[in-house]
Amino acid sequence: MRRRTFLQSLLAVFGAVSVASFAYPLLRFLAPPSDANRDRKFTLAKKDIPIGTSRVVLVNDKPVIVINEQGKGYIALSSVCTHLGCLVGYEAAKNILVCPCHGGTYDLEGNVLSGPPPRPLSKVPLKVESEQLVIG
Amino acid sequence: MNGTAKRIRNWLEVRVGLDELIRSNLTDYRVPSNINLFHTLGAVAVVGYLIQVITGICLLIYYIPHADHAFRSVQEIMTRVPYGWLFRQMHVVGSNLLIAAVFVHMVTIFLMGNYKRPRELTWISGGLLMVITLCFGFSGYLLPWTQLSYWATTVATSIPTAFPVVGDFVSRLLRGGSSVTGITLTRFFAVHVSLLPPLFVFLMVVHIALIRRIGLSATPFGRSDEEKRPLTEFRKKLHPDGYPYYPYLLQKQALMGILYFVVMFLVISFAPTFFFPEEATVPADAFKTPESIRPEWYFLAPYQMLKIIPNKFLGISLQIILLAVFIFWPFLDTHKEKNIFKRPVLRGVFIAIMIAMVILMWWGRR
Ligand code: HEM
Ligand code: FES
Repeated sequence: MRRRTFLQSLLAVFGAVSVASFAYPLLRFLAPPSDANRDRKFTLAKKDIPIGTSRVVLVNDKPVIVINEQGKGYIALSSVCTHLGCLVGYEAAKNILVCPCHGGTYDLEGNVLSGPPPRPLSKVPLKVESEQLVIG
Repeated sequence: MNGTAKRIRNWLEVRVGLDELIRSNLTDYRVPSNINLFHTLGAVAVVGYLIQVITGICLLIYYIPHADHAFRSVQEIMTRVPYGWLFRQMHVVGSNLLIAAVFVHMVTIFLMGNYKRPRELTWISGGLLMVITLCFGFSGYLLPWTQLSYWATTVATSIPTAFPVVGDFVSRLLRGGSSVTGITLTRFFAVHVSLLPPLFVFLMVVHIALIRRIGLSATPFGRSDEEKRPLTEFRKKLHPDGYPYYPYLLQKQALMGILYFVVMFLVISFAPTFFFPEEATVPADAFKTPESIRPEWYFLAPYQMLKIIPNKFLGISLQIILLAVFIFWPFLDTHKEKNIFKRPVLRGVFIAIMIAMVILMWWGRR
């Protein structure tokens, strides 16, 4: 092998290794930390949600809508619309959830009633204790 | 010229070669004699970009890129900082005008067929400049941290999730988490002020260097301007019968640059709230989505298109294909005729696309 070719190949190998060894750290640096295994519970006083009203709370950084439905009690659902991520609101008169962005509607089980959302809202576990609600 | 000025000039002449620079770039550089006002739009875009840079640096002095302070710092720029309103208005109105100017530039280049060989790369660098300009608009929109910017960004960064496998990752990468937060704000800030500007300048230098090397094309109307020879070797388009760039085209460009300012200040003076709907004056609230969220006007057409195509994956794939067709258009349209009036099919397609865009925009507004 000629000295010139040897140097060229050496340069190519070192160059490729240096670039590659920065690519992975950079990708990790830019990627957000995983929030998969966080499960802190959120507690809320019952009296903060009178009958026929709702409230949005953050449970493990995800918005959750807690509804106190007339006659049925408390329900917790993810409030992030499955269409493009706006927050749904509770419309007590019709007893449905409505998304303000493109008019998607859901029932209180989270099922899609109308509009563009492709999937139902996911349910969030909720435990009713004597004076408070434990969500998450 | 007095003695000192002459000496300074001579000092420079020896070191920089002023005369040669002026000759090759201004007086000996010839432009076609049937050049029209549309050939000034590229220069207008350069002026518009410079305005964004200068006013953007002014805003940087008072803006705070943090979820707790961004909204308040922008309000202070508007109300407390002397003339802060002026620079913010120029930056906001300017961003919209720049996109409009770039768009019209592109449409006129298209109508005159000036993207044809050997100018394919000029078109591609221009198309990428358009994409970067739109990225500026998208990333800048979040920075004031208003209800409008927060929720428009939430919706826009949800769009990639329609893609299987990589979609969720892309959306999380853009947001820096599962929803739009202060982390998203610093990401967008970094992109807006430190990633996009050098990219833009690089592409602009490529764009203009190519134009200078190849020579401007003449308007294909009234005379033919086709490249008839096979393109196997480079030949600069010299326009021996044309006019010198200075004063003919440079003065036209300067005039249009001033017109750009005139339009900008008409908007700032007589319609100061034109680009600030109500939601743009309310601080971002991650717990409440306001009633009317819609993107900036230049994203309305693609946004509406996504909404009316029931399958999101199909919708986004279609838009990526359309973008690729747009960027690589010179390789798809290899017909030699530059004059669009002699190409009825292409003209029909063009008119149909324009009408479709207007309808989609109008529809998306409601
Ligand atoms: C901010 C972005 C842009 C800047 C600063 C810019 C700047 C310029 C300038 C100064 C010229 C020369 C004068 C003229 O014909 O107007 C030019 C020409 C040209 N531009 Fe752009 N431009 C931009 C965007 C675009 C876009 C989006 C396209 C198309 C996709 C494009 C395609 C072209 C072509 C093909 C020419 C050559 C015209 C000829 O040779 O006659 N440019 N541009
Ligand atoms: S985001 Fe809810 S309907 Fe589109």
